[in-house]
Amino acid sequence: MKRIIIDQEKCDGCKNCTVACMQAHRATPGTVYDLDLLDPKNEARHTIVANGKGGYFPIFCRHCSVPDCVGACMSGALCKDPVSGHVQYDESRCGTCFMCVMSCPYGNVKPDKVTHKRILKCDFCKDDTEGPNCVRVCPKKAIHVEEVSA
Amino acid sequence: MNESCYGCSTCASADKPLEGFIAKLPMETSHHRVESQETKCGFGLQGVCCRLCANGPCRITPESPRGICGATADVMVTRNLLRAVAAGSGCYIHVVENTALNLKNTALEKGKLKGLGALERLCKTFGVSGKDDHEKALNVANAVLEDLYKPEYVKMDLVEKMAYPPRFKVWKELGILPGGAKSEVFKGVVKCSTNLNSDPVNMLIDCLRLGISTGIYGLTLTNLLNDVLLGEPEIRMAPVGLRVIDPDYINIMITGHQHTMFVHLQERLIAPDVVAKAKAVGAKGFKLVGCTCVGQDLQLRGAHYTEIFNGHAGNNYTSEAILATGAIDAVLSEFNCTLPGIETVCDTLSIKQICIDDVAKKANAELKQFVFAERGKHSEEIIDAIIASYKERRPKVKLNLLPEHGYENNLTGVSEVSLKKFLGGNWKPLVDLIVSGDIKGVAGVVGCSSLVAGGHDVLTVALVKELIARDIIVLTAGCSSGGIENCGLMVPEAAELAGPKLKAVCKKLGIPPVLNFGPCLAIGRLEIVATELAETIGIDIPQLPLVLSAAQWLEEQALADGCFGLALGLPLHLGLPPFITGSKVATQVLTEDMKSLTGGQVIINADAKESADLLEKIIQEKRRALKI
Repeated sequence: MKRIIIDQEKCDGCKNCTVACMQAHRATPGTVYDLDLLDPKNEARHTIVANGKGGYFPIFCRHCSVPDCVGACMSGALCKDPVSGHVQYDESRCGTCFMCVMSCPYGNVKPDKVTHKRILKCDFCKDDTEGPNCVRVCPKKAIHVEEVSA
Repeated sequence: MNESCYGCSTCASADKPLEGFIAKLPMETSHHRVESQETKCGFGLQGVCCRLCANGPCRITPESPRGICGATADVMVTRNLLRAVAAGSGCYIHVVENTALNLKNTALEKGKLKGLGALERLCKTFGVSGKDDHEKALNVANAVLEDLYKPEYVKMDLVEKMAYPPRFKVWKELGILPGGAKSEVFKGVVKCSTNLNSDPVNMLIDCLRLGISTGIYGLTLTNLLNDVLLGEPEIRMAPVGLRVIDPDYINIMITGHQHTMFVHLQERLIAPDVVAKAKAVGAKGFKLVGCTCVGQDLQLRGAHYTEIFNGHAGNNYTSEAILATGAIDAVLSEFNCTLPGIETVCDTLSIKQICIDDVAKKANAELKQFVFAERGKHSEEIIDAIIASYKERRPKVKLNLLPEHGYENNLTGVSEVSLKKFLGGNWKPLVDLIVSGDIKGVAGVVGCSSLVAGGHDVLTVALVKELIARDIIVLTAGCSSGGIENCGLMVPEAAELAGPKLKAVCKKLGIPPVLNFGPCLAIGRLEIVATELAETIGIDIPQLPLVLSAAQWLEEQALADGCFGLALGLPLHLGLPPFITGSKVATQVLTEDMKSLTGGQVIINADAKESADLLEKIIQEKRRALKI
């Protein structure tokens, strides 16, 4: 399976990945120029956190081999895709229990801030043949996609 | 020289022969760097990255809707925009200040004035006179300088004299009449500094005020003062492109906007003793090769410079290719657009760089700061340095010419005066063609050339083709002109690309469907044309079926020009937004609310066909309102 590999030493906190993620998942089509940066509906799926020493922790979904979020999901909204190996979310099956949020060891899965009824997590830009948008725009190559065993 | 190409990742150009030439160069140019800079910061693109204080950079996201200080996206965007407009205005005001000073010094020295018609018109407009031409020129120059140096709280005198009365009235009512032009720049940079103004609309109003001082002084008056000193444009045919480079001469590529600084040197370069010096080292003499706006301006006034000026080779992003021919022996620069990237090309090809105004000092250049009283001494030193460069470099540099590039017969020398003269002394023939619909409308395609929005001149040239196909005549000024002419749209045969009605008009008159007014400064000339057309019809400027496009605007100066267009009440198309879309207030005011303030509006679209549709629609609406 393909996974986003993080080299935190290289991250300079520019948040280009954040804008790219917002742009990739916006509800209405458009360019990066008209992406509403203030609209909570456009929240990015990952987080860049300062490490307190002048560097950053880029926190991206690991699409874990044995994902705790999937294990915790009682409704079957989260599943590890047997072909791609990516953990995908089916909003229609979500019971809003947020156990996935509680169980993600990386603190990556988060409730959405608008409806408080669904979660936001990385879908590996599954509909984009060129792969995750965040990776493509990272000027420091702090994140890259690598084939790993599932 | 390495024969292999540097890298095959150059950006596209509307000028395909040039694109091929650059892709094969054995050195890096700006065209090569587009790909490696492709990842743009989304916050920067939207204008919501603020680094005005040590708390920054602050960026706007759904989780962080304000900067640490509390600045909203609207505040960040308008502060950044005002800062850019103030800087751009400062650039043009620097140019007009030096131009007026050179006219003043020439008048005091009883030097040669080549454009007495322009001098008379300026005297009449300003209401000044003098016992002879030199005194008149002195009084004209002083009137401009006195206005430039007024404090911000004292309104400039010439605005009312230069402006179209209905426009002046609107500006007065809106409270956007500018005080001293230099002081307005000063106020602009103060206002957008850390923790000062936080009222987005108030800052946008300042942009308009800076637009007026930039437009009337930096653009319009710079042209007219240049006309007095350098001679007025005359309509004629001239060659463009890399073909103008003749390797048998010692070639000097000129870049900048301050043509009056070259006057003495230009005269000397064709003096018999200087030509003899060139011949002594094996050249036929000296030639100036036009590049950027100073080249456009010499092309415009080429009738006065046939001996020394060999033609305009290309715009800002053609400068590296011009140098890469190997046949340029020196670069003489005095302002932008002198790209930092030419330094490495000059190093590789041992090209001497000389700068005559330290505002544009290049790292590799020898600085010969222009001082009017010392220009004679400096001219000799510059000539000797360039001869030494020629002698040293020519035996070891291999030429890489492209003599088939460009076009031979381009219509040039078009100005508000020469065009009117061409039409028979008044604007009625053009107005009649507009009324009859033979010319649907007028589009000023102006400003810079950039390497984004499709690549080098890609959007500009595609848009021009779309417009002329819709019977909209195109008037150009700026580096856009350099790209459009190198793509063959300024030869009379380009009439074939126009719509049936415009094509018939062009063929009857023997003109191309795109008329070149020269440098970006000549946006001021286009605006005189707009004013005089409005005057002829008896309407205000926003009512004209006339649109502006700075499709590939590049720099801060273009933003200051654009603000003048908005103050005039014109629709202004931009290919890419000027880093404003992060602010709902700025976007709303500039694209919508401006219509009810000045009549102007910003239209943003990067697609040539869609942009032409939008501009055509505006032209049709204006026609309907005029019942034509």
